[in-house]
Amino acid sequence: MLTILLVDDDTEFTDVACTIIEFLGHEVLTAANLAEAKDWLSKESFDHILLDFMLPDGSGLHLLESLNSEQKQPRVTLITGHPSVKGIIKDMCGDNVDYLVKPIQREELESVLQPQKKSVPKKSTKQSVTRHFGQLIGESAPMQELYKLISRVSKTNANVMLLGESGVGKEVVAAAIHAAADCPGPYVATNCGAFSKELIGSELFGHEKGAFTGAIGRKAGVFEQAENGTLFLDEITEMPIDMQPNLLRVLENKVVIRVGGTKATPVNCRVVSASNRSMEELAESKVLREDIYFRLAVFPITIPPLRERKEDIPLLARYFIDQLNSENNSQFRWQSEQLEKLSAYDWPGNVRELRHFVHRAAIMSEPEGVDIELPKTIESPFAKKQTLSTGLKAGRTIEDVEKELIYATLEKVDGNKTTAAEMLGISTKTLYNRLHAYGDITTDNGQ
Amino acid sequence: MDDEQFAMLQTAVHDARRPLNRITMQAELIKLALEGAVPPDKALAALDKIIAGCQDCSESLSQIVDNFNPTNTGNNE
Repeated sequence: MLTILLVDDDTEFTDVACTIIEFLGHEVLTAANLAEAKDWLSKESFDHILLDFMLPDGSGLHLLESLNSEQKQPRVTLITGHPSVKGIIKDMCGDNVDYLVKPIQREELESVLQPQKKSVPKKSTKQSVTRHFGQLIGESAPMQELYKLISRVSKTNANVMLLGESGVGKEVVAAAIHAAADCPGPYVATNCGAFSKELIGSELFGHEKGAFTGAIGRKAGVFEQAENGTLFLDEITEMPIDMQPNLLRVLENKVVIRVGGTKATPVNCRVVSASNRSMEELAESKVLREDIYFRLAVFPITIPPLRERKEDIPLLARYFIDQLNSENNSQFRWQSEQLEKLSAYDWPGNVRELRHFVHRAAIMSEPEGVDIELPKTIESPFAKKQTLSTGLKAGRTIEDVEKELIYATLEKVDGNKTTAAEMLGISTKTLYNRLHAYGDITTDNGQ
Repeated sequence: MDDEQFAMLQTAVHDARRPLNRITMQAELIKLALEGAVPPDKALAALDKIIAGCQDCSESLSQIVDNFNPTNTGNNE
């Protein structure tokens, strides 16, 4: 409820406006001229002043001046009969002053008396981002394919192995599979890389009281906790190889024996495991036993890296900023050229890197504004590692690698061709010839 | 029309808009009465005020015509 002062010399208008304002749930006092209004202001404190522009003893603007000395600055809505005055008022007064043009309707009164009017555009941007299976964001072809796979596998009991680079959202996909499966049990996630060799057995299979020093009570392992649900084993390749036969036994027999125990407890859950290694790497590196692989990867799913679904970058960026806006009560909004800049980058750290970048940009931006401040360049320590590993892969032509090196060098020196040529150990003329051959010289001639 | 005449017209239109503002607000009050939010007798009073407001508005418009009628010497100059 607001306390409102209505200043207007038309008593018929103030009478009926008071009834309507009271109906809207506010308390209202009236003044017919500047003198009465000043008198009220000296006695009472108001949240909002509805102020006629033309009053018998002067312009309503005179009251604005005396308001500046007030401790609590009320919001002001100037009421004017001239639509043309609108623009002048806007220039003269700050953000704290609104205006209404006569004849006034109830909805207009209602909207100026609402404390926050900015929620409308925020809502519209939020609506545009769909979360598939309540988790995943993206409308690109690779994501549509992924949704198809999730939907198929969720209807079965098959164990799933998720493969994909770091940061692509393997845990999010695991949660999506659980959501799509609509199973009665819970979703339990654990990271096999987070436990010492001694503790991983207890984490997975549980332990009996007194099984080892510190085992003061019986504990159920994650297999038991995820009964009738989904168990997500992240970084499965980090599991010590000598622990893997124990895991194989559980997967094959569907029973666990707690550490220090003898009794076999039946378990029933879908196991979704994940690794950031590719299938070839898994086979070569021998970090996962072959028999375990075939048990876990009944249905392997490779999650595409962000650079292979660049059309989803604006959607994700919007989703992350909406999330930050609702957490911090801010109003940040992307400019289309900023989204283009984000889409042009390769994001070697994938969605995780993008989310981190958006968060950092939001922190760097003026909290009261809507503009997001982006750093001049998007750089991550992982970006270089990525370029190096793809740049020197066997099977690529020397021309390809040379082209990549030239562009990487130009990017490093902000497009300065003389410096780039020096770094590359070639003449500027040769650099221009190469760029010409790549069809890039037309834009360079103009510089 | 010179600046002085334009200022006069602006004032006259401002005065004519006054009853229009009353009429709009009274109509909003009737809507509330129909929704059951205010007593029906207030709606009846509001309708009377609307009729009076329309007459006020009509008089203001006639006044504008009188003021700007070129044959009506003395008022326009």
